[in-house]
Amino acid sequence: MNKKPEDIKVIIATDCGSTTTKAILIQYDEEKGEYRQTHRGEAPTTVEAPFEDVTKGVLNSVQELAELSGRELLDEDNRIIKERTENRGADIYISTSSAGGGLQMMVAGVVRSMTAESAERAALGAGAIVMDVIASNDHRLPHEQIERIRQLRPDMILLSGGIDGGTLSHVVELAELISAADPKPRLGIGYKLPIIYAGNKDARENVSGTLEEKVDLVIVDNLRPVLERENLGPARDKIHDMFMEHVMQQAPGYKTLMSWTDAPIMPTPGAVGAIIERVAKLNDIEVVGVDIGGATTDVFSVFKDPEDEKPVFNRTVSANLGMSYSISNVLAEASLPNISRWIPFPIDERKLRNQIKNKMIRPTTIPQTLESLVIEQAIAREALRLAFIQHKAFATTLKGVQKQRTIADAFDQSGTEGTIVNMMNLNLLVGSGGVLSHAPRRNQSAMMMMDAFRPEGITRLAVDSIFMMPHLGVLSEVHSQAATEVFLKDCLIFLGTCVAPVGQIKQGKDVMKYSINFPTGTEEGMLKQGEMKLFKLGVGEEAEAVFEPQGKADLGEGKGSKVETIVHGGVVGIILDGRGRPLMTVPDDKDARIEQMLGWLENLGVYNMEELRALGKA
Amino acid sequence: MCKTIRLLLGLVAGVVLCSLSAVCAMEPAVISMDYSVTPRILKSKPVAKVDDVSSDGIIAVKITWDPLDAEILPYIENILIYRSAISDDDFKLIGTLKAESTEYIDASDTEARIDPAAGPVRSNWVYYYKIGVLTREGFIFLFSAEDYIIPQPVWFDIEKIAPFIATLIFFILVIGFIQVARRRGADLYVRPIAGMNEIDNAIGRATEMGRPILYVLGLGSPEDIATIASYTILARVAKKTAEFRTDLIVPCNEPIVMTIAQETVRNAYLEAGHPDAYSDDMVFFVTSMQFAYVAAVNGLMLRERTATNCYFGKFYAESLLLSETGNIAGSIQVAGTDEVAQLPFFVTTCDYTLIGEELYAASAYLGRDPLLLGALKAQDYAKAITMVLIYLATIALSVNIAGITIFVKGLIDYL
Amino acid sequence: MAHAYTPGLKVSSKIRLQKRRILPLKGEVTVKVGDMVESETVVARTELPGKVTPVNAANILGVPATDLMNYVLKKEGEMLKKGESYALAKSFFGLFKTTLRAPDECMLESVSNITGKILLRSKPLPVEVKAYIEGKIIEVIPREGVVVESWAAFAQGIFGIGGETNGILKMVCNAPDEPLTPEKISAEDAGHVLVGGSIVTAAALKKAIEHNVKAIVVGGFDDQDLRNFLGYDLGVAITGSEDKGITLMVTEGFGPIPMAYRTFELMQKHQGQKACVNGATQIRAGVIRPEVVIPMRESELSEELHVEAGSLKPGTPIRIIREPYFGMLGKVTELPSALLKLESETKARVLKVQFDSNNEIATVPRANVEILET
Repeated sequence: MNKKPEDIKVIIATDCGSTTTKAILIQYDEEKGEYRQTHRGEAPTTVEAPFEDVTKGVLNSVQELAELSGRELLDEDNRIIKERTENRGADIYISTSSAGGGLQMMVAGVVRSMTAESAERAALGAGAIVMDVIASNDHRLPHEQIERIRQLRPDMILLSGGIDGGTLSHVVELAELISAADPKPRLGIGYKLPIIYAGNKDARENVSGTLEEKVDLVIVDNLRPVLERENLGPARDKIHDMFMEHVMQQAPGYKTLMSWTDAPIMPTPGAVGAIIERVAKLNDIEVVGVDIGGATTDVFSVFKDPEDEKPVFNRTVSANLGMSYSISNVLAEASLPNISRWIPFPIDERKLRNQIKNKMIRPTTIPQTLESLVIEQAIAREALRLAFIQHKAFATTLKGVQKQRTIADAFDQSGTEGTIVNMMNLNLLVGSGGVLSHAPRRNQSAMMMMDAFRPEGITRLAVDSIFMMPHLGVLSEVHSQAATEVFLKDCLIFLGTCVAPVGQIKQGKDVMKYSINFPTGTEEGMLKQGEMKLFKLGVGEEAEAVFEPQGKADLGEGKGSKVETIVHGGVVGIILDGRGRPLMTVPDDKDARIEQMLGWLENLGVYNMEELRALGKA
Repeated sequence: MCKTIRLLLGLVAGVVLCSLSAVCAMEPAVISMDYSVTPRILKSKPVAKVDDVSSDGIIAVKITWDPLDAEILPYIENILIYRSAISDDDFKLIGTLKAESTEYIDASDTEARIDPAAGPVRSNWVYYYKIGVLTREGFIFLFSAEDYIIPQPVWFDIEKIAPFIATLIFFILVIGFIQVARRRGADLYVRPIAGMNEIDNAIGRATEMGRPILYVLGLGSPEDIATIASYTILARVAKKTAEFRTDLIVPCNEPIVMTIAQETVRNAYLEAGHPDAYSDDMVFFVTSMQFAYVAAVNGLMLRERTATNCYFGKFYAESLLLSETGNIAGSIQVAGTDEVAQLPFFVTTCDYTLIGEELYAASAYLGRDPLLLGALKAQDYAKAITMVLIYLATIALSVNIAGITIFVKGLIDYL
Repeated sequence: MAHAYTPGLKVSSKIRLQKRRILPLKGEVTVKVGDMVESETVVARTELPGKVTPVNAANILGVPATDLMNYVLKKEGEMLKKGESYALAKSFFGLFKTTLRAPDECMLESVSNITGKILLRSKPLPVEVKAYIEGKIIEVIPREGVVVESWAAFAQGIFGIGGETNGILKMVCNAPDEPLTPEKISAEDAGHVLVGGSIVTAAALKKAIEHNVKAIVVGGFDDQDLRNFLGYDLGVAITGSEDKGITLMVTEGFGPIPMAYRTFELMQKHQGQKACVNGATQIRAGVIRPEVVIPMRESELSEELHVEAGSLKPGTPIRIIREPYFGMLGKVTELPSALLKLESETKARVLKVQFDSNNEIATVPRANVEILET
């Protein structure tokens, strides 16, 4: 691409998903001096038979964009017009792809919690699905590891291990394992499996000696040159390159598509990660993003490392937590009582189980009755909760790092196991995926996110309206300003702000005094434990607020310390959540639990209460 | 606020109670001579009973009698205890007591006997006892005990029932917790010891760096508890190095310690399924001299550039010499010793230090073996119970329980 | 786009069926184009590479890894007999010898002078692919497999358990809404494919396994029973490799649901004929459904039926696949184009349906129906 960022005024971006291809049009508004997303088009993806050419779906979706915007985007030869005039053509075209199951990788490293984990982080950050992690200490016998590599048939393997100048034998052993397995790529028979080596630089020669003949070996800088520091960039970039050069080349039509784009095609989750990382860095905030799909749930986060205050990006994929294909797995992993605690009416276990399984075998159906909707949203809460637990366990500080101590540390020696996810510092929580983006009421999305993630302190909530994050992710690589502007203005629908004091306080006792200066007048009062309150404050509106946590309650400034801040509105409003953190106080008795839950749902206007209560009586 | 008020009220109440009880305990001192006391003594004839209260290793007879009438007490000088080995009336004086006493224990280990011919009481002899009431005028009224007695030796010392119960409680706790540990497995909560958690990471670090791990068992002899605890940790470390396939160096200061350590490491490698990776050269003897040993180990650290150093066991002056060298060499260091004097040196130079008893707890914590885990939990509870008892006893002593009893008695009498 | 995604299950009385029978690895095809094959005929075979066992040779021999090459007696790639020595180290002027012997018949794969390990590869495992359905070989994919073609009656299920099997079709229920209970199964049913009605109970399934029934085709199955049957909670619908001694095909879904009349009728018609059943299911992109294939001889054929992929229009026969009308059959009466708010407040494109059973008309989202394909 050789256009200057200031010359770019019209952008087309597509995301080729496994079922639909989504296109968006971004235009520069000269009057307001900002980039806005103006139109979107959608068409079925055409990777599989009978079409077997991804570009058809892309062109269909772009054609829809052209029809809707009245702008001529395709020429007579059915190609995207790249010379922009007044109402014809676009400056750049970019795309992401997750068609064909996305990028499926295997990673290998020496120690599971060190180089293997860094390699996993690199692969996940690049947008891959990590099928398995092979490590010297993963308690599998070599022949089991070989069997596994052969069975899984990944698109690519990332091999790391050893710091620079570190172990040789372990790394070579891993290379020998891979060589013995002689893995074949998943797609296409005619090409060699790409393997990226990002380990000990002293072992390069040995590794290439072992692997060169059997696979397509690429060597990049060590992703863990010393244990104290990760250097994931080169490995991540190389994964993107190899994804383009090898994996994409095998998918029908991608060669043509690649020739059209002005920036490399990114794997969809990698692009989502990129935009979240960018936004967090630009605004200096800590962000969690979640994308709950049918088969998998991705969690992205940017938190500051408690040691050096540098923002750290993490992504995890919970490959078996989702709302349709994997819905039954949510049940298996969360257990029934955990799901039914979110359902405010009694339900027969057999019936619930059968309903969930039926959704699994018929993944495209949508809930018609309120009962089905409530059940589906209950399952979504558990899927999100479990995915976030996995994310927290993964997003940790580096292990194996040397510590400096003074005598004062005698009784306060902390390990390095700590997660860097600190919900109190979280500024923005973004949800996306059908169940969150398309919930009939936005209040439901807010409620699901609060129940599943339990944000602490003051946190803004938002959903991705039309799953535009992938497009913006790849755009951020080209035109950062346009991407972030559109992200905040069009992509995100702000739901509002959740204010949740932390602390275990007895039910019914005072938790927090509040005073919020709304445009319509000041609201003052006392929030009690186990209570939820909602105040309307529209999108783009702000209000000054003073919160005084009582007793042991904490809103980020310490126990019982007053917080003066500005809260941001949204389609839902300002939510005061007095349910207690980190554990919510829920009565043991079933009826009392349902009654309390109905209270919360009513205060927040989550469901049609009459019908909901009727369900309980029926 | 509330607490302070409660505390103050408690204090005030205590003081009032104590002073009241003191007042009530005072008795009027009225002594007047009255020669009509004899018939009253005879009338109040104290009936004496004898009991065998022998316990483990001590033969003892307890003589009890009804108290004399309070009215005649002022006229009584002493109560005398006589014993006869057979019923031949050869009663010998064995004890003099105050008038108001009601019991006497004639034990085999009591030294002071008034009549030396009496000798200590013995098992399987037949004894008769008499109580004498000596009036101020010098008369002695003798009353025979109801029956003879043949004291028998017994197995248990009833006096030590409290330690016995304590032992029993501890025993039940241990058994109970072992059962709980068996059932709940690893769920049983043990406070995480950061140093132990980090051992895996430290070994991982060495693996990634491709450098060996140094394990020092200290200068203790093989029977020191610290050394024994160190073997368990060594077993764990060795198992991990076997899994990670990292080199392990164990220089020893004592030949016997070396032999045990070799066995420990070999077993650990076998357990990890890598017996082929073990060699006897991993564990070796250096020297028994303290500073020669330090020099050798320091040299090792610098030559082999060990990535991780573990020090568990008994350490003396060499602690700082070793750990400071390791620190300068850039190794991750984990230490643990029960030598309190060495702890500060380890804390400042090592990444993680196990303090005192944590060293013993570490083996249970690492092994997650129900037996060790249960015992560890039980020990903690026993300590907690002891702490509570000490606290209660301190309170009881501070508020004078005896005084309160008397006060209450007086109150009841008054009512 | 006006296209409505309506998944459908194929139920057809006569269809030209082609099955690709492909090896997991390249191998040898044993039949040629034009051959007639039976279900059990082996059409292709190959050998899976054997297990690899690393031997920590340098340490056992007590030699440095870099010198290991000097002590290995065989070349890389050489075959070893059981007990044959392949490495030898001598010490003390040949007084002490350490020998490494092959634990089994295997190949010396590689010798590493960095890790000091020798890799041994054991004998390959043979793999065979059978024809699965009776028919004619119409294509041979060299070294990979074949395509078998046959005319057949064909029914897809929604979900299944267990792999490929075959047996004589037998109806054990008289009506699609009759549950399949244990008393309907007897010892005579061994080797049969049993067709039931609305649901198969856990007890009936157990009895069927005891009596060596090959497969069961039924309308519904209870999830709780599925869990007890498998011994775990099925997380994702990818099945086929279970080894439970029976293949189960569920045509409608979970819970007691009468089998679609069309399927039931088809089975009834072919009672007594041989049926091939596969329970393998994969509900993901590249969907695989369980199926019953009843191959037909040429003589049974009269005319070729025209098979048409369905689209929704008034009169299309459909089935509802979600509550509250789950499992009911009907015909489309109207296709309003505007989005409609449902009871759950979800806005969706809907259609009106007239139920076959009671002629009532209801509104359901288009996503919640499937076209009954013929």
